[in-house]
Amino acid sequence: MSDLEAYRAKAAAWCESVAPTFGKAARKGLSVEEDLALGRRYQKAKFDAGFAGINWPTDLGGQGLGHIEKITFEAEEMKHGFPNVYFGISLGMPVPVLMQFGSDRDFVKERVLKALQGEEIWCQLFSEPSGGTDLAGLRTRAETDGNGWKINGQKVWTSWAQYSDYGVIVVRTDPTVAKHKGLTYFWVDMKAPGVTVRPIKLAGGDSHVNEVFFDDVKISDDHRMSPVGGGFSVALATLMIERYVATDSAGFGPHLDLFVDLAKDLMINGRPAIEDGRIRQQIARNYAMRSGLDSINVRARLMMQAGMTPGPEGSLNKLVAVRSRQKLSELAIDLQGVGGFHFDEHASPKDDWASSWINAPTGRIAGGSDETLLNTIAERILGLPQDHRPDKGVPFNQIPA
Amino acid sequence: MSILYDEGQQAIATESRRILEARVHKDDLLPLLQTSGRYHEAFWATAKEQGWTALALPEAHGGLALGIVELGLIAHQAGRTLSGAPFLTSNFGAAKAIELYGSDDQKQRWLPGLASGDVIGAVAIASGPDALPAHPKVTLTNDRLDGVKDGVSGALHADVAIVFANGPGMPVLALVDLAKVEKTAIDSFDNSRCLADLHFADTPAETLVSGSAARAAALHILALQAVITAHEQTGGAEALMEIARDYAVTRKAFGQPIGAFQSIKHRIAELYGLVELARANCIHAASREGQSDFVTAAAAARLSATEAYDTAARDCVQIHGGIGVTWEIGLHLHMRRARTLALEQGSSLFWEDILVDRLAGEAA
Repeated sequence: MSDLEAYRAKAAAWCESVAPTFGKAARKGLSVEEDLALGRRYQKAKFDAGFAGINWPTDLGGQGLGHIEKITFEAEEMKHGFPNVYFGISLGMPVPVLMQFGSDRDFVKERVLKALQGEEIWCQLFSEPSGGTDLAGLRTRAETDGNGWKINGQKVWTSWAQYSDYGVIVVRTDPTVAKHKGLTYFWVDMKAPGVTVRPIKLAGGDSHVNEVFFDDVKISDDHRMSPVGGGFSVALATLMIERYVATDSAGFGPHLDLFVDLAKDLMINGRPAIEDGRIRQQIARNYAMRSGLDSINVRARLMMQAGMTPGPEGSLNKLVAVRSRQKLSELAIDLQGVGGFHFDEHASPKDDWASSWINAPTGRIAGGSDETLLNTIAERILGLPQDHRPDKGVPFNQIPA
Repeated sequence: MSILYDEGQQAIATESRRILEARVHKDDLLPLLQTSGRYHEAFWATAKEQGWTALALPEAHGGLALGIVELGLIAHQAGRTLSGAPFLTSNFGAAKAIELYGSDDQKQRWLPGLASGDVIGAVAIASGPDALPAHPKVTLTNDRLDGVKDGVSGALHADVAIVFANGPGMPVLALVDLAKVEKTAIDSFDNSRCLADLHFADTPAETLVSGSAARAAALHILALQAVITAHEQTGGAEALMEIARDYAVTRKAFGQPIGAFQSIKHRIAELYGLVELARANCIHAASREGQSDFVTAAAAARLSATEAYDTAARDCVQIHGGIGVTWEIGLHLHMRRARTLALEQGSSLFWEDILVDRLAGEAA
């Protein structure tokens, strides 16, 4: 057994051992607050077992292992439906950025340890009402205020802000220069006076995203994580941190086996649906697509193991998997006919077709919309020209609103 | 599991690409469309000279003992350049059938010639719309074949064929010397495939496998060939994506390259996705030869490669506008080849059924 296989076995065994306490069954029927509390205990158990911060430095409480061990653990973890979703953003982007760019190292260490143990949660304050894809067009501003700064404005779609202790934020500090050049990156205390968090109920019924308002929120200059005017490159660094996370060719919806089972159970015109050509074609097409993504992901892992950089084709996963999950979920509802009306807003998108369907649009928008991903593939991988951008090089305060 | 190509395999890809780009030109391929029964001799000579015909065959019979991973890499490059001879796949399929199911005598008689490329082989399993017919129309009685196998790729120049036939109460996979078999050339939209109907009339044939094992053997040969063809389709799709990209960055309209319009750039980005999924499925399938899920992996490769090549052919022409539909630019060579390869070794409809039977646990 290779070292990595041994690691996988160890990870699998640990996940199995805590599944009765923290797994899907244990979470059934919990309120969000109860589930979050369980999640904090899960994160602590993970830390104690040596599976938190797997690829982070040991002096900050991490395990000092490689990216490959991290995604190996995540692949095992994903099988059990643990309550880790509250820490996904926190440990995925803001905290790693804090490790990289935070200037007060004692402060950094304390925060990282608390975040790793589930005691504190960080959010990422990027998108605004005026734009998400056009990040550099943001309007929330920070003005100098004595030796520090004063923040005014509004962020939106901020995941888990209602439970967050801290956040990282990009704001405009100079409106007189081109939009990318007038931004600065800070961290903020989410409990500070002037910060108001208002949850947004999403179409599927849950409220994990928020509006966050800043009214004269005062911070000292030691909160600054970039040079003044150098915030955009730190923001890009944040978004580039985790290019290869454990991916799911089911687009974080149900596994294809569940669709096959459904098609075997239900009848169309007196015959099992699995014998219907229209259904068979969709199963075959979905399988071919998912097996392609699986192969891309396996090869990316092999490349990382070999010390190589995985190819850019890894960027296809979200684009391809989520939109096909959306269509397959519609078909699964069609298959059930009037039996397909049933809806449980607390059901999991991983094993419930209606939940998968109604939550699918979020997956096609969050973290880069389909259209943005296509642009990225076209421009970064294929070398096609950028879109026409009338605001290019224009000082921010002269761009027509 | 999938695999990463090792250094030797990468060298095969690079070297075959270099050679084929130097020796295969559109201007030599276009005239082949308007004659019946001619293939691109320069390609076949190259395949023989480079040992590609021997690549995946056993050493004991003149082969190089590599596998479908390596032959797939050659096929990918052949697909990129539209290399005009179907025998790379048909020879391989015929030789594998003899290697896996033939007697020592049959191997000694046929394999060295197939490996050198001096003998040309064909595989005749399909019958009309059935890629793997339940009741083949060709019958085998007392070691004699009768009936017609239609639409056999490469058959016009083939010396030997593997034929799926209806034997005495059971299917058989038979080996047939084509020296005295009547061949009718088919006028096709892709004439260099040298398609023909084979007319058997009291033709001597040797049984390789019979009964339900014959059907499994025929499917295995089809799957092996399908993986090679899927690589060829992926190569064609990749070339078209690059042609579309190159055109979109140079051709201007309304004061900017047309590739700056999202209707164009997104179309090309979608092609990238289809090509990469097909490539990943091809690599995976080639790495599964000999495993229990090989046919499943072959079906997935085949489906995604057919979709990639057909879509790339449609979209690349569309992106070119008027110039794309001219004879001279030759994009129709890819359109034609995409459809030809979609039919050889069974269409998507066939592979969808094969795949779903397996996923639903109903495969024989």
